[in-house]
Amino acid sequence: MIQFAIRRLFAALPTLLVVTVLVFGMVQLLPGDPARLLLGEEATPQAVTELRHSLGLDRPVPEQYARWLVNIGQLDFGTSVKDNSSVLGLIADKLPTTIELALFAMLIAALIALPAGMISALHRDSWTDRAFTLFALSGISLPNFFLGILLIYIFSIRLAWIPASGYVPFTQDPAKNLLLLLLPAVTLGVHSAAVLARYLRSSMLETLSQDYVRTAHAKGITRQRVVLKHGLRNALVPVITAFGLQLGGLLGGAVITEQIFSVPGFGRLLVDAVFTRDLPVIQGVVLVSAVAVFLVSFLVDLTYAAVDPRIRYH
Amino acid sequence: MRQPARTLALLTLLALGVAGAETVTVGLDADPPRLDPALSSAFVDRQVLNQIFDKLVDLDQNLKVIPALAKSWKISNGGLTYTFTLRPGVKFHDGTPLDANAVKYSLERDLTLEGSARKNELSSVKDVKVIDPLTVQINLKQPYGPLLAVLADRSGMIISPKAAQKEGQDFQNNPVGSGPFEFVSRKRQDNITLQANKAYWDGAPKIDKLVYRPFPEGDVRLANLLSGAVQVITPIDPKDISKLDQNPKFDVLNYPGLGFQGIWFNVTRPPFNNKANRQAVAATIDRDAVAKVVFYNTVKPAAGPFPPGTPAYSANIKVPQANLALAKQKLGGKPLTFTILTTPGTVTTQLAQLYQAMFAQAGINAKIQQVEFGTLLDRADKHDFDALILGWSGRPDPDGNIYDFFVTGGSNNQAGYSNKTVDQLLNKARAQTAMPARVATYNVALGQILNDVPYVWVYHPNNLVGMVKGLSGIKPIPDGIIRFKDADLK
Repeated sequence: MIQFAIRRLFAALPTLLVVTVLVFGMVQLLPGDPARLLLGEEATPQAVTELRHSLGLDRPVPEQYARWLVNIGQLDFGTSVKDNSSVLGLIADKLPTTIELALFAMLIAALIALPAGMISALHRDSWTDRAFTLFALSGISLPNFFLGILLIYIFSIRLAWIPASGYVPFTQDPAKNLLLLLLPAVTLGVHSAAVLARYLRSSMLETLSQDYVRTAHAKGITRQRVVLKHGLRNALVPVITAFGLQLGGLLGGAVITEQIFSVPGFGRLLVDAVFTRDLPVIQGVVLVSAVAVFLVSFLVDLTYAAVDPRIRYH
Repeated sequence: MRQPARTLALLTLLALGVAGAETVTVGLDADPPRLDPALSSAFVDRQVLNQIFDKLVDLDQNLKVIPALAKSWKISNGGLTYTFTLRPGVKFHDGTPLDANAVKYSLERDLTLEGSARKNELSSVKDVKVIDPLTVQINLKQPYGPLLAVLADRSGMIISPKAAQKEGQDFQNNPVGSGPFEFVSRKRQDNITLQANKAYWDGAPKIDKLVYRPFPEGDVRLANLLSGAVQVITPIDPKDISKLDQNPKFDVLNYPGLGFQGIWFNVTRPPFNNKANRQAVAATIDRDAVAKVVFYNTVKPAAGPFPPGTPAYSANIKVPQANLALAKQKLGGKPLTFTILTTPGTVTTQLAQLYQAMFAQAGINAKIQQVEFGTLLDRADKHDFDALILGWSGRPDPDGNIYDFFVTGGSNNQAGYSNKTVDQLLNKARAQTAMPARVATYNVALGQILNDVPYVWVYHPNNLVGMVKGLSGIKPIPDGIIRFKDADLK
């Protein structure tokens, strides 16, 4: 398996190079001149020219790309156009917040999806199943921003239980950190919960109709044991794939949620950078996201083996 | 024994902390980009900069220039020399004294720093001389009437030379001034925290801590005010005014601003190099309908660049009424089709569609094209548009609302408009120092501009601030910047 892991990592290098070209090219396609935007309405043409020069924007694009790539190789992601702070520093500052949010959201998703998917499968076509299906459909179709505003309205404005926004690092005040991240995590997690519950339901139904489950029943093993040990374990394999994909997606989905709840994370950094055309920050954030999604899918591959010994790596 | 003792100590500390620290949190519509008076180019920066830095002079509610760091000043030598007498005993937050040398340093930095956004408004400055520690002299190349108003904004903010030299490019992340609040910390997209300057020359502020937080979405900003997470928000979306007005826990400050909004015509290419076409489009606009439908009457219909209540406003220039017959007559039966550029957003979209419908009543066919703000500015610079929707946040001196917009080659002259008489008049007004004479000159220039229609002024936005009832001491100063020095939270 270690061999497999190493092989996968090396195979990814060309892909990552293509990613850098795409990230850089994409940013070039963004309309609007960063210097013009940064200097605002009151800029004089002379000031715009000066700033373009000091940002290196007046150089040929291939030269800009080559410089960027060489610098990235040395882990130098450049400095923010907005306030001159280091891009790597900004990413290191914001990424943990978003990872925490995403993991919290996944935990909530799992806590909802596991029982919901299982109960739905075990009580197929009953009213509970229909209720869960309704929940899943709402969860999938409800936009993030709507759910977020709804939660703020209920829990922050009406009930005044949870502040509408804000962030405190976990290390500084764990209880407050979790309280403040609860609503964003629920907002972010509900969609994944709905998707995962649907996956688990169909996967469970398929597993429970297998011969070995019938055999287990025939041998007189308790229903609970059959479901949990024989059913759930096998049903989880495709769910883990979905889980991994969801986690990758969460990093992106966090953009809107962080905006609504003013969580100073990775998504917020990206939105702000796009609005101010802070090119070095956009490039850095998108590149790191791409690498993160790759890492997650890589870890998902590795987890397969742990769950299902039938899967072999050659 | 140890545990209860520690808990008790903690509780006492907590209680002291709650009792002693009065914090006001302010929700802004954007994360202020650059906290350096020389580099700042966004309106939102000024909200924060104004608390950290003192200016040479300030503005009162009637836009009169009043003393601040400068106790008094004298204009001599035919408007070429401004001599300021500084307040004694003022110290920067880092403990260094604020004297004539610091003033000279700040102004020279504004004039020379790479990327300084202040160069344009200070371009008439020839040199700055230190006469004695409390007297500083600004000498001009030519008389420049707006100078005092310019010094009541970022150009007049005095920074600590010691801190600026030490921090270099990073000064914007560690700004040091002499204002009523000191910079403590900043976390991008999260908060900017300031604390009261207890040794402030004009008395310590009543609140202890001032926190600014960005909420780009209007609904989110409002939700945070309603839930108590913040005590002040600026601006409020016009649609939310009535919600706050009806809520007994909140106050709304709704007061006139300095800016204007309207439509630019590109006079350098067809169809708007034809004056009759511009006049026709302008004649279709119903300003009252715009104010009512899009802005819930939180804006004032505009006749020109100077809002009512500002020195150059003239009641003789009346807000034009929509006149479809005139529009059709100007068109002379010829069809007119053009594209109007705007930015995406609920309000801008609604506004563009309303304009489109108004044009259509006179048989004018306009297509709406939405591009993001940077592209809009870029295309405006290159005169690559037919018409575009763009306004201005406004300046206290009339010059700041007209000069760069209509002088030939002006940096905000999006229309590409050029008229020798207007150029002469605008330059003459600048060189005059007595306000009545300047106003008279502006109004002659404005008569010509209104007839040529490179721009249609449609409305003047109000400043809209939402806050909790217990907050007092905030004066409605038309520049829209909230000064927290005298604010108190009960």
